[in-house]
Amino acid sequence: MNLQEFRRILKQAVLIPLLALVVLAGVLLWQVETAQRAQRWLDHSDQVSSELNELERLIFEQANAVRGYELTGNQAMLAPYKASAGPIHTYFTRLRQLVADNPQQIGNLVQVQDRYRLWLGYAQDILARPRVLIDYNHNSNQRSQVLGNESLDESLITAVRDSTRKMGLAENHLRSERLEESIVLERRELVVIIFGTLVVGLLLGFFSLNRLRMVSKAYRSALTESQRRADELYESREWLQTTLRSIGDAVIVCAANSTVQFMNPIAEELTGWSIDAAQTQTLERVFQIVNEQTRKEVESPVEKVRRLNKVIGLANHTMLLARNGMEYAIDDSAAPIHDKHGNLIGIVLVFRDVTEKKRTEAALVASEKLAIAGRLAASIAHEIHNPLDAVANLHYLMAGEPDAAKREEYLALAQQELSRTVQISRTMLSLYREPNAPVSIDLGDLLQGVLLLLHRRLQSQNITIIHEFENNCMVEGFPAELRQVFTNLIVNAVDATGPNGRIRLGMKSVPAEEFSGAGILTEIADSGTGISEQVLQKLFQPFFTTKGDQGTGLGLWVSMGIVQKHGGAIRIQNSTDPEFKGANVRVYLPARTLATSSSRSTPHFS
Amino acid sequence: MRMLTILCIDDEALGLQVRRAVLERAGFQVLTATNGKTGISLFKENRIDAVLLDYLMPEMDGGEVAITIRNLKPEVPILLHSACVDLPHQVLNLVNATLAKGDGAETLIHRLHQVIEETKPQSENSR
Repeated sequence: MNLQEFRRILKQAVLIPLLALVVLAGVLLWQVETAQRAQRWLDHSDQVSSELNELERLIFEQANAVRGYELTGNQAMLAPYKASAGPIHTYFTRLRQLVADNPQQIGNLVQVQDRYRLWLGYAQDILARPRVLIDYNHNSNQRSQVLGNESLDESLITAVRDSTRKMGLAENHLRSERLEESIVLERRELVVIIFGTLVVGLLLGFFSLNRLRMVSKAYRSALTESQRRADELYESREWLQTTLRSIGDAVIVCAANSTVQFMNPIAEELTGWSIDAAQTQTLERVFQIVNEQTRKEVESPVEKVRRLNKVIGLANHTMLLARNGMEYAIDDSAAPIHDKHGNLIGIVLVFRDVTEKKRTEAALVASEKLAIAGRLAASIAHEIHNPLDAVANLHYLMAGEPDAAKREEYLALAQQELSRTVQISRTMLSLYREPNAPVSIDLGDLLQGVLLLLHRRLQSQNITIIHEFENNCMVEGFPAELRQVFTNLIVNAVDATGPNGRIRLGMKSVPAEEFSGAGILTEIADSGTGISEQVLQKLFQPFFTTKGDQGTGLGLWVSMGIVQKHGGAIRIQNSTDPEFKGANVRVYLPARTLATSSSRSTPHFS
Repeated sequence: MRMLTILCIDDEALGLQVRRAVLERAGFQVLTATNGKTGISLFKENRIDAVLLDYLMPEMDGGEVAITIRNLKPEVPILLHSACVDLPHQVLNLVNATLAKGDGAETLIHRLHQVIEETKPQSENSR
């Protein structure tokens, strides 16, 4: 039911009872009117009867007066006769008017009037006779005449009386008929009132019931509908909440004004704030983040999202300071929440504890360092033991040599072998002596050092190295780490190219470009078979190796981290050079670096 | 008694030269080779009493050389002479003894005599 229908029903509920009541009132009025009319007719009959009685009484009075006068001759006796004449006339006129509607009664009245006039004529005769005769002639004749006159008078009056009686009876009969009619009408009125009220009442009752049912049905369905909607809303809200709560990462949702609105249990655990306590707080208070090294506060992600109006990631080395004093290294992202008009209405923050991951990464880096150190140590031991062995043998020879010239020769040889030993041990030492700040490095020298360390290995596989180095390739950085990078890359090239292979090492300075400063580009190309597309994609993943048990799978991953730390980049692709068909590894290192000794040296991929 | 002939195989030319002088002074006849291939052809052409073999060499390492020599003449003792610390087990099982580089001339001479003495009766029986 819509609102229009509801209004229609409301109108009906007012107008229809009103209409029914008006009709009922009309019927009742009509009934009352009918009954009243009957009553009036009854009154009319009563009036006719009473006036007729009065008329009769007046006529008899006249008759008595005339008789009295006739007997006594006393003029005084005629007073009533004279007095009644006027009223009688009036009564006749009135009665004539009253019974004008009834021809029968008109006839009766005319009869009464006629008879009265007849008597009146007789009475006037009497009154016209001389009084003396009557008073003084007392003979029997006269007397009998008088008596005869008397009987005439009597019969005339009786006739008048008869006709008045007749009229009275007729009127009485009429009255009783009217009374009966009036009673019937009154009864009918009562019945009509009772039944009319009953019927209208019942009809109105049914009508109202029907309309009320319609409204109540509509109300019930509306109620059910709204309940269903409320249920659905609740369910979808619950579903969303459960989803958010179940996410493995910490989630904080805050309003555009930074007030925290939602936190999932992981966010509660990491921040140390319960959702109830946090809900009135600003995000900056609940989600306190500082730089891992400087301990300075990091720009609030809310501010950053508001400024950039896009999804952002946090800077590296972000530490979350929990309410309970714990500190977590975190990785996070923040995204704006827009309403349908595109206005910022909130921010959702997703972050995770990467403390453990960072520790693991650091352990991996350390283990790779150790593996490399182990390999280098073995190789260095070999390098050192060869000249040492020669020196020991030369000493033995010198001891038993009588020829001075020969001794000199042996001494010179021993000296030569010793300086070789010293050079090797120096190179090894420099590998482990790491400065705290980046130092200026001649990358060409560094690469030569690496080649010297790998000399034995290269020689054993009969690998030809071709250098194409520019002079004075200076970069800033940490030599041991860079040495590690190039050792890795050259060993990879050696493994790829195999025995009797060839490796070309190129080094040149590159000018500053739009997105990178000036620096040194080192190129390492081998004559191997190249890298498959599948392997290319996984090259920098930790533990990915093509060398089976021989490789840790960490070399390139660590190298990438170190180069990125220096602000550089590594690109690996298959070479287009027909001389060196294998992989072509290019390492860019900027001439100036922002790296610090504690910078993260695990790779990050965006 | 005839002079014992030692075949020295090492890619390190200077070391090899010095070692030859030491062994000759100790009374051995010495043949030298700077790679495995030359060494094996010398071994085939000459009567060799013991082989002093370096492990880490280009092209053909000490292990491969040892296998070839064992296949040719299993009775000839091999002394593996290397600076390497983590030699493969197969190679260690193949050779008669190992000697670390830098242990000095006396030790070298002593160990050479030792392996020749140890294998002598066997080699004579088999002949």
